[in-house]
Amino acid sequence: MNDKISTFFLGGLTFNIGNMVAATVAAAIVLVIVVWLSRNLQVRPTSKKQAVLESIIDFSNTTTRGSMSDSDAASFKLYGFVLFVLIFVSNQLGLMLQVDVNGVTYVKSPTADPMFTMTLALFTIALSHYAGVKKLGFGGYFKNTYLEPFVFWFPLALFEEFSNFLTLGLRLFGVIYAGEILLKLVGGLAFSNGIVTIIGLAPIELIWQAFSIFLGAIQAYVFVTLTSVYINGKISAE
Amino acid sequence: MLSQLVFGAELAYGTMLYYLVLFLVLVLLIKVFAWKPINKMLNERTQQIVSDIDSAKQKHQEADSLAKQRQDELNKSHDEASTIITNAKQAGQKQQEQIVSDAQSDAQTIKDNAHKSIEQERQDVLANTKNDVANLSIEIASKIIQKELKANDQKALIDSYIEGLGKQNESR
Repeated sequence: MNDKISTFFLGGLTFNIGNMVAATVAAAIVLVIVVWLSRNLQVRPTSKKQAVLESIIDFSNTTTRGSMSDSDAASFKLYGFVLFVLIFVSNQLGLMLQVDVNGVTYVKSPTADPMFTMTLALFTIALSHYAGVKKLGFGGYFKNTYLEPFVFWFPLALFEEFSNFLTLGLRLFGVIYAGEILLKLVGGLAFSNGIVTIIGLAPIELIWQAFSIFLGAIQAYVFVTLTSVYINGKISAE
Repeated sequence: MLSQLVFGAELAYGTMLYYLVLFLVLVLLIKVFAWKPINKMLNERTQQIVSDIDSAKQKHQEADSLAKQRQDELNKSHDEASTIITNAKQAGQKQQEQIVSDAQSDAQTIKDNAHKSIEQERQDVLANTKNDVANLSIEIASKIIQKELKANDQKALIDSYIEGLGKQNESR
């Protein structure tokens, strides 16, 4: 992480250009890959790319479904799929490519920005509350979410909703941010003292990169799983 | 600043707004360009599998009924063949009996006719013989009456008559 960031203000809001570029690049990569994979679909698959796409969708659908019933899960499958692919690509992006211009990082993992992960968490939490109201009606949703198992549970339930939102976003951010920090530290150390440290620290960098790829995949899976759990908690009366 | 302490950077709400829009646009684009064709293909696949199973079931039933029909027809033709053979055997038997009985009756008729004609001939011969004997007796009687016979002469006379009889018989 470079300390330097490039920002601009518009209507009292701060815009971080570096993070926006990173998120746009990740979203563009996702869009291009998914649309490319979904060209020329056959009822009876003959191409490898269709098999890849179907495997991803199958995985994300299974993850999104979780313990929901099929009819409940149907409307969240697209959301779960986009979420999974976007977070996965975002997590891996910074491991492969970091573009610095004048000390400002423009291409990196957008998930290393807390605002990005909190935005996704906000989406998931908002969607779960919306689904709860839609399924149970507002009265049923309110009772199910805040007044169960006891009426005086209300403050705790309220706090739980808030902590769900925070932990969902910050878990992903923390893992990816810490991963990138460590990568940069090891990288900086490697280039600090010439050829000896480069050779000596290359394996450590390699191992940490491999571990980060693993963590990135796991975090994408965890995020979608928790999305499913939160939505299921809102739509099923306990 | 609190946000500086918590997140290590100032919270950029404008960026958050941008992320929201970006994510919504991404979901929308993926829905239009990827999700719909995928779902269409998956539905088609489901339909095709269902219709394949249905048509396979139907074909199976048709094959079963055809096999049954064929078996029935085979049994029927077996029955028909055995009926035809039985009929033919019976007809043959009948014809054989007919032929034998015809032959027997023909033989009987021929035999009867032969008997009759033999009897007739015998009767005729008998009648002729009677006539001949009568004539002969009359001749003999007239000869006896015409001439006194001596014992020696009688022998020659009788021989001559018998000879004459033989000639008469031959000439007849």
